[in-house]
Amino acid sequence: MAEDLNWAVGGEAGDGIDSTGKIFAQALSRAGRHVFTSKDFASRIRGGYTAYKIRTSVEQVQSVVDRLDILVALTQRTIDENLDELHEGSAVIYDGERSWEAEIPDEITAVDVPLKSLAEDAGGAIMRNIVALGAACKITGFDVEYLDEALEKRFGGKGSKIVENNKEAARLGQEYVEENYDLDHLGYNVDVTDNDYVLLNGNEAIGMGAIAAGCRFYAGYPITPATSIMEYLTGRIEDYGGHVVQAEDELSAINMALGGARAGARAMTATSGAGIDLMTETFGLVATSETPLVICDVQRSGPSTGMPTKQEQGDLNMALYGGHGEVPRFVVAPTSITECFWKTVEAFNLAEKYNTPVFLVSDLAMSVTEQTFPPEAFDMDAVEIDRGKLVGDDEVDEWLDEQGRFRAHADTDDGVSPRAIPGTIDGAHMSTGLEHDELGRRTEEQDERVQQVDKRYRKVETAQEQEEWECREFGDEDADNLILTWGSNEGALVEALGYLEDEDVDVRVISVPYIFPRPDLTDEIEAAEQTIVVECNATGQFADLIEHDALTRVKRINKYTGVRFKADELAEQITDKLSEEVPAQ
Amino acid sequence: MSSDVRFTDFKSDKQPTWCPGCGDFGTMNGMMKALAETGNDPDNTFVVAGIGCSGKIGTYMHSYALHGVHGRALPVGTGVKMARPDIEVMVSGGDGDGYSIGAGHFVHAVRRNVDMSYVVMDNRIYGLTKGQASPTSRSDFETSTTPEGPKQPPVNPLALALASGASFIAQSFASDALRHQEIIEQAIEHDGFGFVNVFSPCVTFNDVDTYDYFRESLVDLKEEGHDPNDYEDAKKVILDSDKEYQGVMYQDENSVPYHEQHGVTEDMSDIPEGAPDDAMDLVREFY
Repeated sequence: MAEDLNWAVGGEAGDGIDSTGKIFAQALSRAGRHVFTSKDFASRIRGGYTAYKIRTSVEQVQSVVDRLDILVALTQRTIDENLDELHEGSAVIYDGERSWEAEIPDEITAVDVPLKSLAEDAGGAIMRNIVALGAACKITGFDVEYLDEALEKRFGGKGSKIVENNKEAARLGQEYVEENYDLDHLGYNVDVTDNDYVLLNGNEAIGMGAIAAGCRFYAGYPITPATSIMEYLTGRIEDYGGHVVQAEDELSAINMALGGARAGARAMTATSGAGIDLMTETFGLVATSETPLVICDVQRSGPSTGMPTKQEQGDLNMALYGGHGEVPRFVVAPTSITECFWKTVEAFNLAEKYNTPVFLVSDLAMSVTEQTFPPEAFDMDAVEIDRGKLVGDDEVDEWLDEQGRFRAHADTDDGVSPRAIPGTIDGAHMSTGLEHDELGRRTEEQDERVQQVDKRYRKVETAQEQEEWECREFGDEDADNLILTWGSNEGALVEALGYLEDEDVDVRVISVPYIFPRPDLTDEIEAAEQTIVVECNATGQFADLIEHDALTRVKRINKYTGVRFKADELAEQITDKLSEEVPAQ
Repeated sequence: MSSDVRFTDFKSDKQPTWCPGCGDFGTMNGMMKALAETGNDPDNTFVVAGIGCSGKIGTYMHSYALHGVHGRALPVGTGVKMARPDIEVMVSGGDGDGYSIGAGHFVHAVRRNVDMSYVVMDNRIYGLTKGQASPTSRSDFETSTTPEGPKQPPVNPLALALASGASFIAQSFASDALRHQEIIEQAIEHDGFGFVNVFSPCVTFNDVDTYDYFRESLVDLKEEGHDPNDYEDAKKVILDSDKEYQGVMYQDENSVPYHEQHGVTEDMSDIPEGAPDDAMDLVREFY
């Protein structure tokens, strides 16, 4: 593993923590370094604490670790919250002129910089965080010119004066440290490369994937942590002839999206678990009317209002089973930020190929994490669009009954019926949440009921045969121990492999992006001596599915503190778990 | 095709199961005639219905249609129209669907002013569930769930629309076929959200708001010389709870429909076979 640097800025909500962190992440990305960011929101003791953390390396980084090297602390709380992660080589940048007296353990280097005064010298106290960034550049040996690029990107729209003031603020911070401290012994040296990376989070990747996939209609209602998908699409989707509408609630949002889809648009709505609760009312209608629709759930901690700004993967069962009655739905869960893009594209194709709702299940950790990638990771030329059995004017004929009526729910061999959208001549038909015959008309005839139920489930069989349902594999394919996971834990697991290797622990990691239909992993589980399922929930919802599929018991690592897995922590837990007794079969 | 469309083209081959004499027959006939008369045909028309006796209308009409969940017909219609501005969208519902479970959507659909029509079959009763009070039932109307009456004033849907910033507010009577059709036509042709509350008597469960009652009490605003473009006059008739009016109460001559306000004019079903040509620009934004 190449040397990584772990940096953070923390303070009160409203201190500009987010934008400060984003600027530094941007600067590192411009310098051809990889970054992986995470955010701490308000925690339980007292409201207000927030932090933006960056892990950076010249190699790809995809997890946070339990170590902090440079901390910009705008409050004492920031220091207290991160004490466990600070170490002998850490430096804490703070402003000694401010009213609070920083209590920093002796072994940690305290770097007192008059952030506010220097910012005022540069043109305004508001730039104190930028002074701190300049100071951080000096401590880490990072060329402040990369910071200039990020400042230009951030403040370019506000005029050159603002940009120049910020650049000056950064320089004042850098010079202050240079003149007052000798910190070479800390030994930080941030290498740069010629690589060009893009820096984005999972929600932006989902939004971008939606536009790439031809989604033109989005209806949503603001909710943390899904709102940024809607915000991304707003102002961009219009360039492609699309539209975003803010509905009055989630009940309306999913019905608007359903209307858009029935009208022939690739349509989507996104929310978090609490919004899925409301959307569940309409889910059955979407599924039984065989409407292609992508419903995105960016999970957060539940139940009820839960911990709205905290990570959890507790909605898997809801995505799989939510709603009364029985009707198939697909559930796809991207496992990384690039996969947020690709699985969104795939979700739209699956929805239209099989005329079915697709739950696209992401989570808070992925939604707020910004990560660097080479732009080719989002190669738009590789995006394929398959609209399934969408019939045009010249194809309607073959789907009409003897009386010239369109068979919107025709009982076909593969279970997939044709789809005619408004404007298609002779394609007019009704769709309904009532059980219906082939024409979409209400029926309670036993034969027709069974025909339609079977037809809908036949679509799943067809999809299982026709689609790839590929998992992502890491580690040693022949290892005795198998780790299974889903969702955003993949990155931490992949990084944990490095730590496990140091301990001579070999594992095979399979990261599963398909929850339903899903690949049968029985052979892989039987080939392993031990299987551990890793997920961010209390009860092991994915582990339950795996046990059901493979008819065996697995070990489980569950985290439900509201914080995502960290690579080093996970490696330790895996080592411990492997030494526990194997559960009775 | 539209030039030779007859209203019967909007009729499906399913026989309505509404009770004989139900006001919904007349309401639906007027809808079909108005759609045909305004130059639409079943293949470019989308009808949305909710739940209740009114919700069955999609089954008895022939067009593209969605029979949705209870109370959410307006959002569905909104989505259809936004994705396909070229399609004629007509949403129908009942007083329960529109003013009770769907009341929140009603307010916001009115505000959005999407260019579609909304026809509410108001019978002042829950008919399909066999006679419970509806939001428009009289406060002393005795039903199985309100033996002494709801003891709360009925919702005035016209006032609710007015307060929400409506651009077209009308009321008709299912039994006055010509006027009903004419009013629905005006709602269709209105540039924006054309709202029509239709007195559509329930002959089985409502023995108060009957055909006879409406025939005797109805005042036609057309005959009264009412000017629908006059907001103050509109307010007076809408808030007048002593009389039952028929006609267009209010029409904003300067109504700007949602798609014009927001520049939503494209047929969103038409997309390329891969990512858009310049889609890599979206990636480069993240440099």
